[in-house]
Amino acid sequence: MAKTAEVIVVGGGVIGSAVTFELARRSVDVLLIDKTLPGRATSASAGGLWPVGEAVGLGCGIIHHQSHSKSGVLNDELLLPGFFRDFLAQSNSYFPELAAELKEFGGVDIEYEPGAGLMFLYFNEEEKQFVQLVADSLPQENNLEVLSALEAKEIEPQLTGDLLGAARLADEHQVNPMLLAEGFKRAAIALGAEFRHETKAAELCREGDKIVGVQVEEERFSCKTVVNAAGAWAGNLAETAKIRLPIFPVRGQVVLTQTLPHVLNACLSNSGCYILQKKHGEVLIGSTTENAGFDVSVTPEAITHLCNAAVRTVPCLRHVGIKRVWSGLRPGTQDELPILGPMENISGYMNATGGFRTGIVASPLTGRIVAQQITDQELDFPIETFLASRFKRTAAETR
Amino acid sequence: MIQRDLVIVGAGPAGMAAAATACRAGLGVTLIDENLSTGGQIYRQSPAALAGLSVPTGESSLHGKQMIGELESLKDQIEWLPNTSVWGYFPERRLAVRSDRGWQIIAAKQIILAAGAYEFVSPFPGWTLPGVMTPGGAQSMVKTMNILPGSRILIAGSGPFLLVVAAQLHAAGAEVVGVLETARRRDAFRHLPSLFSYPKLLRQGRHYLQQLRKANIPLHWGHLVTSAEGSECIENATIAACDGNGRPRGQASTIAIDTLCIGYGFVPRTELAQMADCAMEYCELIGGWIPQVDATFETSVSGVRVAGDGGGVAGAIVAEIEGTVAGLAAAHQLGTIDDVTYQARFDPLAKQLRKLRIFRSALDRIYRIRPGLLDLACPDTTICRCEEISRQEIEEGIEFGGTNISTLKVITRAGMGPCQGKMCWPAVARLIADKEGKSVAEVGNVRVRPPIGSLAMTDLLTELSLDPIQEKH
Repeated sequence: MAKTAEVIVVGGGVIGSAVTFELARRSVDVLLIDKTLPGRATSASAGGLWPVGEAVGLGCGIIHHQSHSKSGVLNDELLLPGFFRDFLAQSNSYFPELAAELKEFGGVDIEYEPGAGLMFLYFNEEEKQFVQLVADSLPQENNLEVLSALEAKEIEPQLTGDLLGAARLADEHQVNPMLLAEGFKRAAIALGAEFRHETKAAELCREGDKIVGVQVEEERFSCKTVVNAAGAWAGNLAETAKIRLPIFPVRGQVVLTQTLPHVLNACLSNSGCYILQKKHGEVLIGSTTENAGFDVSVTPEAITHLCNAAVRTVPCLRHVGIKRVWSGLRPGTQDELPILGPMENISGYMNATGGFRTGIVASPLTGRIVAQQITDQELDFPIETFLASRFKRTAAETR
Repeated sequence: MIQRDLVIVGAGPAGMAAAATACRAGLGVTLIDENLSTGGQIYRQSPAALAGLSVPTGESSLHGKQMIGELESLKDQIEWLPNTSVWGYFPERRLAVRSDRGWQIIAAKQIILAAGAYEFVSPFPGWTLPGVMTPGGAQSMVKTMNILPGSRILIAGSGPFLLVVAAQLHAAGAEVVGVLETARRRDAFRHLPSLFSYPKLLRQGRHYLQQLRKANIPLHWGHLVTSAEGSECIENATIAACDGNGRPRGQASTIAIDTLCIGYGFVPRTELAQMADCAMEYCELIGGWIPQVDATFETSVSGVRVAGDGGGVAGAIVAEIEGTVAGLAAAHQLGTIDDVTYQARFDPLAKQLRKLRIFRSALDRIYRIRPGLLDLACPDTTICRCEEISRQEIEEGIEFGGTNISTLKVITRAGMGPCQGKMCWPAVARLIADKEGKSVAEVGNVRVRPPIGSLAMTDLLTELSLDPIQEKH
């Protein structure tokens, strides 16, 4: 029997699950279909909630810049647009309430952990100047403190003595990313959403300028709107309906240590890696940013680089055992901003992807505005700047 | 990067045979083992300092000494890397190794994985108490350290290995109160005709039984341990007779002991093969998930072979022949022996393996893992030891939607520990299969990630040179 739903969300990572939750909350008849592919970004995320940190490049951004920028010079290229910083900050502000809701509706504890904030550690003059540039660019309310090495060590006693100083964002914390996705999913199901796991969307069904459903093996699921939340694979999915979506996989490799007693108070980052201790005691060290297509292997070079960078920053990690190493594929975009909302000239279709390195922190607000867009409600944040059409425009302008 | 001709992982019977064969056939051989000496678990030798103290050894151990001696005579031609563990497989036949001096990548034209097997214990109440250990663990305490694991020992589980360990512990001075074999005597009799296919091995089995009789150690077929009790460590074991499915029946009784050695056979160590992306298949009777291989033990990944128990549990004799075949095939593939020589040596080995297979599969059927064993675990029995997750928590997780590996891991944390699910997955997969009405094969296997075994951050801080390391002893 052919399946029908008002909305079908393709992709059960953190974004697809958040959208499903927000739609279910609005009493929309929604079906989430998911095929767990190796390398989904949600499973390799550190779970850092670093809205300002990521927006100004003090999280994964600086690592990305170091490996991709031609000049290697730390400058304002690393700063993402101010509206995106506001978007992330607003999204982040929902977490305390969200943690309680997901627990209440779905029974999942997302391990939201307020700690000593995010500290970017700098080791040389150039990095110090960059921190100053970031500090000057930020509005007062963003609360970036520049700390001396001594002050940083007071907050985080295990830090190396080679430190020059640190920039601290005291309100930036962490969650368990996989439990966050699971929590959204469970809450959505509890609110009436349907979930089919191990179900691969083979293609989007297009009739003229309208997307009318999803082909799943022999079956066609029809719906009024399809949400493309297929992460790094979103471009491939869109392509099946002749929609061009400039998404590419950006591989990130992460290292996880054995369970340790409490050693870190803050989330730490530097130009080589970021380091944070998860709730169950493991220390997570991330992450590379590589263009390796859909290859999800790990490389000895990256693993050893991350371990070296972590031990240089927190020397007591030296004798700690490594539990596992794995990788994930971030859905990357050229301007490092997500792709949300409808496509020009195509109905019945909605993007919710391109989260790149901010998908976790962006998920609450992304879920909301995509659901609001579908249900014609007033949006909690303007979606215009995230539309896919911006890429066409940029191409036209440069021509 | 320098590419070695042949790198062999594991220096047990399969690895040693492969190394000697390939070396004589003209290949450059690199042999890696995490232990300090060759021999593997079965032919493990006492350190020289303890040689005089070691336990009396049997016929098979003499053969092991011979193999070790043979390899010793080739040691100038073989690159022998002891105390070195392989923590990852990377594409293009690259192995990441670590030793106490640092880490390096070793690339090879041909690889033979001969990693052996680890022991399987089905969870039961009290199995995490101190004093409960595997027969292999007790064996290596006696063999390498000359330490007795306890003074009053009960041995339980399934398989001929129990008999070997019982005799060794007795010879080393422990009181072995008995051996409980889950298989029933009639299971053994039913397959007796097939066991006559390889009289030499049958004689060996009889020898084990005689040893036990001489030592006055009772062997109880069709019995099992249903639980272990004790406050600080094991004090009592509850035992019962069981039916053909391993379900206890009749009156249970209690026996006072200080050590319980329990093992239900072996699970192949396939982590490297999995990491190399070798196609795997599920074969319950030989230990679960194993790599698919051709007649020369080559996996679906070109140039990567799996020999010995690591490719399906079959014991030392089979392992040695498989290692020999794999070593020959590697030499043949690299062109150091011609087609005619290769075929002339391959055919008789293949014939011998076919014959052994009849014997082995009868043993596998006698000692198969009974489905009832899993029912021994109570709701509060720990299943995942790394993360201390109970059966009830796992079943609730499955109920909650954790019907596949990744979701169950996220919800319950079972399998998230340092063993990566190696210990608990056979039991967890069965719990999912039971609840979902699926087969264990359909439930699938856990994904293996580097590192295999223990690896500290400090191990990765020094990269060794890429030149072959010459270790001379």
